[in-house]
Amino acid sequence: MDAYFYIILAVGLISTGICLVAGILKKAPNDVTILSVAAVELALVVYLVGSVIRVIGGEPIAGEAWEFWGYLVTAMLLPPAAVYWSILERTRWSNFVLAAVGVTALVMAARMNQIWY
Amino acid sequence: MEEARNVKAPHSEATPDKARASAKDTRNTGPGRLLIAVYAVFAISATARAGYQILTKFSEAPLAYLLSAFAALVYLVATVSLAKPGRTWFKVSVTAVLVELVGVVVVGALSVFDPVQFPHETVWSLFGRGYAFIPLLLPILGLVWLYRRRPGKQRNAA
Repeated sequence: MDAYFYIILAVGLISTGICLVAGILKKAPNDVTILSVAAVELALVVYLVGSVIRVIGGEPIAGEAWEFWGYLVTAMLLPPAAVYWSILERTRWSNFVLAAVGVTALVMAARMNQIWY
Repeated sequence: MEEARNVKAPHSEATPDKARASAKDTRNTGPGRLLIAVYAVFAISATARAGYQILTKFSEAPLAYLLSAFAALVYLVATVSLAKPGRTWFKVSVTAVLVELVGVVVVGALSVFDPVQFPHETVWSLFGRGYAFIPLLLPILGLVWLYRRRPGKQRNAA
């Protein structure tokens, strides 16, 4: 596991925690929960930029390259999709949907790490 | 929650978007949205995984990978049907979720007893252990949700 994974682990868990608490407190999605999910997206962008630089620098991906990029692109689609959905229905349940993003991103980052090394 | 539910959904144009549908039906609002979101994640991951397995190493374990594809299809149908209003989609949902439950139990049991044919590489292997047992939990939650929001029961839906 590399630094990229640990960044996503930390950001993802914090985001999931914030969104879960907001959901349990019966709050609708607000700036805090949506920004926490945006932070997950930012962490994934960092992973993307870092990975592109590493590939250009000649570092090989141990597993299937297209599988790695597939995971990364799919993971990056999740936060915008969840935020879009949470805006369509502003209830506490949308916060649980947002909460799912952080955990999913961290599971996918773990898998991406396995493919890379 | 209330009678805002529209069972027949006469306004279903070519493709009613999710915002429209959610305003008319209680099955795809509130907790239902969370359920749909989790199903959607599984539909995407199962489809991607099955596609990858079939394209790259189908001959290694054809039965397991065909099951992977079948599981992906079930998740797709469940996701779409849960998001759609109306009685017909309700029945589709119940069928998909029941098939999912039977699938995870049967494949889970087979993967324990016949690890040669089922090399632990489908979503449902070992009762979904590779996915934190969510595949086992999901159909149960799905059935509970569908039962509570079944057509004809909407007036006092909890």
